[in-house]
Amino acid sequence: MVPWSRAGRYATGVNELHEVVERAVAAYDALADLAETVEDEWQYVTDLVDAYMPGIRSLAAADPGRFLTVAQVAAVDEAIAEIGLIADPHKAIDWLSTFPHVVGLALGGDVDRPAGPAGDGSLGAGSEAAAAATSGSEPAEPDEDSPFRMLRGGR
Amino acid sequence: MRFQDAARDARAVVYAGIQADPLVARVAALLENATSAERLMARAAMNGERTDPDTWRRIFPALFGDRPGDGDRPGDERRRHAELVLAASLEVAERGEAARSQYRGAVVEELTARLLARRAALDATVRRERRVLFDGVRAEIHPYDVTVESAERPEVYDCKWGARGINADVLNQLDDAREHAADEDVDLRAAIVVFDGRRTCELRLARATAKHDRTRLVALESLDELREAKN
Repeated sequence: MVPWSRAGRYATGVNELHEVVERAVAAYDALADLAETVEDEWQYVTDLVDAYMPGIRSLAAADPGRFLTVAQVAAVDEAIAEIGLIADPHKAIDWLSTFPHVVGLALGGDVDRPAGPAGDGSLGAGSEAAAAATSGSEPAEPDEDSPFRMLRGGR
Repeated sequence: MRFQDAARDARAVVYAGIQADPLVARVAALLENATSAERLMARAAMNGERTDPDTWRRIFPALFGDRPGDGDRPGDERRRHAELVLAASLEVAERGEAARSQYRGAVVEELTARLLARRAALDATVRRERRVLFDGVRAEIHPYDVTVESAERPEVYDCKWGARGINADVLNQLDDAREHAADEDVDLRAAIVVFDGRRTCELRLARATAKHDRTRLVALESLDELREAKN
């Protein structure tokens, strides 16, 4: 059980999404530090962090003013607590892939497609939506492989 | 070209015991009918530090809260299924760090075989732990995890729990098999199934020096493609 916190009990406003994402970023950074101790996999660890850190950060950029539910905040904090217990660097490598998707699923975003100013600058799902809003067209569908998309209705 | 049962060494005999554990079949059967989000939860829980279900229900609230139904199943049925997936995944986790990695590998193999067997028009046999022999070519030591044995369109699959299992040996073996089959005018499909995110697998493959451009990748999000025969 994660410790009691204000953020864990109430949706507190505009900054909450940013704060939750920053906690996830810090936890992911610590996980990467542990994973990096496997010297043979340094490049792989670096590649994973380079790929997923922008994706996690982008979760704060997509619709930044929205309120999170208590369950969403608790989900991220509980996932952070889970990876905080990992002591084995090999397991840490495994979780460098899993954790971003867990956080993305909890916050309703897609870490495989960074969007907005916190993203990697590519045309991600969020910027496609923004472009669609100005053009009046429908936003492009997220990646068919996205677990988040699957949860919303598909497999 | 022909398929052959792999000779079993001591390690294979021990592993066969794990493959035959009813838990492996139960987890695979649940994952066969799971959504990608449930499969993600299974991956996390089977590799987690904590094994109390409440922790995982909190981490995946969308699977356990007021969940809407879909075209096939009402919400309460989907919640029940998520509970079954979680309980079975935690049983794997509770086998301990040493055993769980073998269980996880066996689950991915069993899941792959089950999904392949569900192809509507499958006119071939899905087998496990088989080698492929080619004329004039020394046999590979390691068997393929899953094979689809068809005279018209044979397939070989190597299964991995995580992208880190993608290595030069695996990729070379798959590509060599495809090339040797082509030498015999056989269109052998070679694929690697990884119970990990596609993007992660692609990162791993991007650094791989072994030839793999003709090897198909089936990642966690696209496992259901195995049900469909590829043209």
